[in-house]
Amino acid sequence: MTGDVSAVASHASEGELRVDKISMRFGGLKVFEDISLRLYPRDILGMIGPNGAGKTTLINVICGKLAPAAGHVFLGGHDVSGKSTHTLSRMGLVRSFQQTNTFRTATVRENLSRAIRFSTGSAESWRRVDDLLGRFDLSHRLDEQSDKLPYGLQKMLGLLLAYATTPKVLLLDEPAAGLEGRERSRVDDFVHHAQQNLGCSILIVEHDMDLIRRLCPRIMVLDAGRLLAEGPPGEVLSRRDVIDAYVGAIDDEDE
Amino acid sequence: MALRIARHAGVPGPGEIASTVIVALAFAIPSFSDSPLVYSMANQILIAIMAAFSVYIMLRMDLMTFAVPAFMALGGYAFAIAALRGGITDTIVLGALSFAVPALVALPLGVLILRLRGVYFVLVTFVLTQILDLLLFETPGLTGGANGLVGMPATTLFGLTLGDNRGVLFVAAGLTLTATLITAGLTSYFRQHFAAIEENEVLAQSLGLVTWRYKVLGFVVAAGVAGMAGFALVNMLLTAHPTSFSPISSVNYIGYAIIGGRGSMLGPIIGSSFLVWATNMFSIQGEYSQGLFGVLIIIVVMLAKGGIVGTVASLLRRFAGGRRDASGVPPQSTADQASTSQ
Repeated sequence: MTGDVSAVASHASEGELRVDKISMRFGGLKVFEDISLRLYPRDILGMIGPNGAGKTTLINVICGKLAPAAGHVFLGGHDVSGKSTHTLSRMGLVRSFQQTNTFRTATVRENLSRAIRFSTGSAESWRRVDDLLGRFDLSHRLDEQSDKLPYGLQKMLGLLLAYATTPKVLLLDEPAAGLEGRERSRVDDFVHHAQQNLGCSILIVEHDMDLIRRLCPRIMVLDAGRLLAEGPPGEVLSRRDVIDAYVGAIDDEDE
Repeated sequence: MALRIARHAGVPGPGEIASTVIVALAFAIPSFSDSPLVYSMANQILIAIMAAFSVYIMLRMDLMTFAVPAFMALGGYAFAIAALRGGITDTIVLGALSFAVPALVALPLGVLILRLRGVYFVLVTFVLTQILDLLLFETPGLTGGANGLVGMPATTLFGLTLGDNRGVLFVAAGLTLTATLITAGLTSYFRQHFAAIEENEVLAQSLGLVTWRYKVLGFVVAAGVAGMAGFALVNMLLTAHPTSFSPISSVNYIGYAIIGGRGSMLGPIIGSSFLVWATNMFSIQGEYSQGLFGVLIIIVVMLAKGGIVGTVASLLRRFAGGRRDASGVPPQSTADQASTSQ
């Protein structure tokens, strides 16, 4: 999207994420190796790949839940490799989860209240969330227990919790998985909102190709722990090796 | 607009306020009775309540602790040694000391062991209690070893000597009220943090909550509250002795909290009152009471997760509104919702 941004720590580089040659293994099993990627401020990057390619593990490593075997992560120009999840979250790097993930017995309101309090947010955070609540049909459900919500709304609440912390970089792990077609446009809505109102850069891991095409000017393909291709979706998705590696493999998985 | 309401999330709820009132009522016991039996029972119940609060605080974060007797011992011996060696008799100073000593020991310990996951934490607290028990026996120079410490002067408050039955009960009631206020303050101010850690630590962390910090805070305060219970116990028995703090007694305190109900501060109060009364009533001292508590804990965990208080609350709700299915109410939800929806 934007041109090259220098890695000097300043507001200009806020929201910039650079992953430099990270590798991950569980015991002797290599999950991925030498993965590098770069997210510019307000950038949207799509990541696709068959199940087991290491996409979720990559998010876990970037957000500090797992320590990489090698490599570095830079956030806004600072080396943040090995920092814990809560530290990164407070620095503006926040992830969402593939499965529904809320404080189950708490109400929608209480869930949001916790997200804002834990991220030391303010009344301003409430105002921003309010905007999205209406769009996602959650305004009238504020006092409902979060695990009693329909699946799709629980997932949207999960995204809203991340949004409520006022992130600068969002890592979305399959935000549309399990949503009905009609509900998927809400993910588009969310992504645009985060990009425009918070100035977020966003990494989206997703299987929904239409969604990826709609949202991402640039995508990466991860296959068996290595980067297979990178570029505009139209170009990448028509490549022979990508189709072989990926499209065949998800026939039975998606939709 | 409608969203603002959630601001009051740190305010004490009805459970905390009712608990404070009930505990404060203990001051009125001398105006109803001067039977030594009643005094002794009231003392035991008050001590049990403080010890059960210590368990309760950790249960707010879904952490089970067996360390209560260890911290009680630290508080109790801190009092005995300060009184014997230092000649300190002021109840407020001794009370503060009985809180501070175990709390200070808990701080570095908590930083170390609270990074462990659930079951390892439980094991370490159990081992900790065993080690401290051993230390009490093996350091006769400081603790009197198997003889314990005796001969502490009566405590005083503003020049008043609190040596008789009434005075000892007054000290226990004062300590328990303070412990209640501390527990209520901590668990309501950090209700959201503790509930988030209990329910979904991974999500809490990814939203920016420094979870270990709150666990350590809870552990430190729980240790201090247990220490106050130790002070009251030594003050009642007139002796600090290792057998008063046997590792196995941790089961009792866990029993009081869980059987009474872990979802509200009223749980440890009701559980302690009922079980101490029942233990005395049926003269089931020693190992038998622990066996009974073990069975009761199993029954509560399997059949009525909310304990006495949680079960009564869900029955009341069913009769009152009938709108909620009271079948599988999770233990913590009752108290949480009652207070956060205000």
